[in-house]
Amino acid sequence: MPPDLLGPTLALSGILFSIGVLGALLRRNAIILFMCVELMLNAVNLAFVAFARYYGFGGHVLVFFVMTVAAAEAAVGLAIMLALFRHNQTLDLQDINLLHG
Amino acid sequence: MPIDLRGPLGLTLALLPVVLLTAWSLVVMLVVAWRHGSEADSRLAGWLSVAGILGAAGATLWLWLAGAESAGQPHMVYLDEYRFVSELLILFIAGATCLLSLRFLGKQRLLAPEYYVLVLFATIGMQLMVASADFILLFIGLEVMSISVYVLAGFDRFRRSSAEAALKYFLVGAFASAFLLYGIALVYGATGQTHFILIGQQLAGSDRSLLARMGLALLLVGFAFKTAAVPFHMWAPDVYDGAPTPVTGFMATGVKTAAFVALVRVLADAFPTFASLWQPIIAVLAVASMVVGNVVALAQGSLKRMLAYSSIAHAGYLLVGVWTATDMGRAAVLLYLIAYSITSLAAFGIITAVERVGSRTVMLEDVEGFFRVRPWGALSMGVCLLSLLGFPGTFGFIGKWYLMTAAIDRNQLLLAVVMGLGSLVSLGYYLPVVMAMTMKPERTPDAHRQVLFSRAAKAIIAVAVLVNLLFGVWPRKVVDLALSASQHMSAQTARRPAGDR
Repeated sequence: MPPDLLGPTLALSGILFSIGVLGALLRRNAIILFMCVELMLNAVNLAFVAFARYYGFGGHVLVFFVMTVAAAEAAVGLAIMLALFRHNQTLDLQDINLLHG
Repeated sequence: MPIDLRGPLGLTLALLPVVLLTAWSLVVMLVVAWRHGSEADSRLAGWLSVAGILGAAGATLWLWLAGAESAGQPHMVYLDEYRFVSELLILFIAGATCLLSLRFLGKQRLLAPEYYVLVLFATIGMQLMVASADFILLFIGLEVMSISVYVLAGFDRFRRSSAEAALKYFLVGAFASAFLLYGIALVYGATGQTHFILIGQQLAGSDRSLLARMGLALLLVGFAFKTAAVPFHMWAPDVYDGAPTPVTGFMATGVKTAAFVALVRVLADAFPTFASLWQPIIAVLAVASMVVGNVVALAQGSLKRMLAYSSIAHAGYLLVGVWTATDMGRAAVLLYLIAYSITSLAAFGIITAVERVGSRTVMLEDVEGFFRVRPWGALSMGVCLLSLLGFPGTFGFIGKWYLMTAAIDRNQLLLAVVMGLGSLVSLGYYLPVVMAMTMKPERTPDAHRQVLFSRAAKAIIAVAVLVNLLFGVWPRKVVDLALSASQHMSAQTARRPAGDR
């Protein structure tokens, strides 16, 4: 039986998620923002894998779904960014006024 | 008719409407791959989609009338009236969106029939969301819906505002999904389950662990983004404004319906014992949404932006029903979703018809004198706005009445009062539209020359307005339906035995 790594793994997952959230809130470039969201999703995957050691296959199944969905999201997201880049010649969100309510 | 959900056959039967629509949407995609040149081809795809949606609605009705219910173990999907009613509502929204888009796409030179395929995919996701009894299925439904709607929002990609709306919706949506997922992960960590009812049973037996509480909070953040509740609403006005108008109608009604039904399910089945924890959060979200939505809507000149803020306020009203956590409250949520969706769809349908070619949006000045040129169109718009306002004699009033009654039944006067005041404030932005349509002259003699109602759009808008007035004065049937649906839902939950899957 390997040593119990649940605590450290969860801590790492929480740190990764927080880095993702902070990056998504602070950075202004759409690509970087998207990478931060991907980081958040991977933090979630890490948490699922850690819990799945205790509870069985349910967590592993979810990890695969998350990866598939993230890939689909990337395909659509990059296409949307390309469409916008043709208009603006930039992906800087300062110029796009993203948070203007 | 009991259906055993453990086998593949039983699951297929329980998900028959979704399976049918998925298969049909693949057929439509193939047809579109061959025929995508002219406006006629685009319309063919539209009518094919409507046919598929009708088929799925037929399957849902059949399941409902045959009295389908699950035998034994809980599994991935619900089979109760609450699901069937909300699924039929979603199919109606999807069908109406297709019909309202028929002429619009040609008018705006958006000759890409993939539009309808994307509407079908989004509908499949929504159906999965309202049927799911498990976080895995809920997540997949949510993403199938969201990814399709991201593309739909940016469908007019030659217009800058549409592409911006898509990017904004995409980034915020992906961000919200990550929160929702982390919530699911923590709840899974606390209970070892992903099934709503099994989570509820696990949590009822234990004290409130930190993991489960954090998971619930993250889930609520995710849902608040998806339902555009204040303070997670910043994306909604720009996205609603930039997206093509029929898509805006689809987002404001379909996405909202699916998200709210899922939220009701999650809170009722997975977290009934945590009510003292989530009720204050929901109450704050509800009050903030009602206040901010109604007040900011006063300052909007664009009709689409105005309706976007008003839809934020309506999310607040719906959250009042979610807050109650009673059968009555859940019935009121369903009732209000029906009233709000039908009315909003018709309002956006009329804006679609009024919109000029290549124009970004419809301003208040653009509808001046509309009554003189198109009396029926203006009259329908008036009825829709009065219903959104909650004017007595319309369906919207009945919906609001039951939401308020449900809140007062739980001795929560504050929420009911804020709701009443909010409706009063909303007079300030609905009435100017009615006045501009009826009392002011046209700006230019040919101001409404481009107004284009297709026959299908006329039919849908007429149906919506008639339903509105009919249920406004004679609501017995639909209220009974919503009540029995929500009682059926809680009865099914209580009946289910414990056990591992």
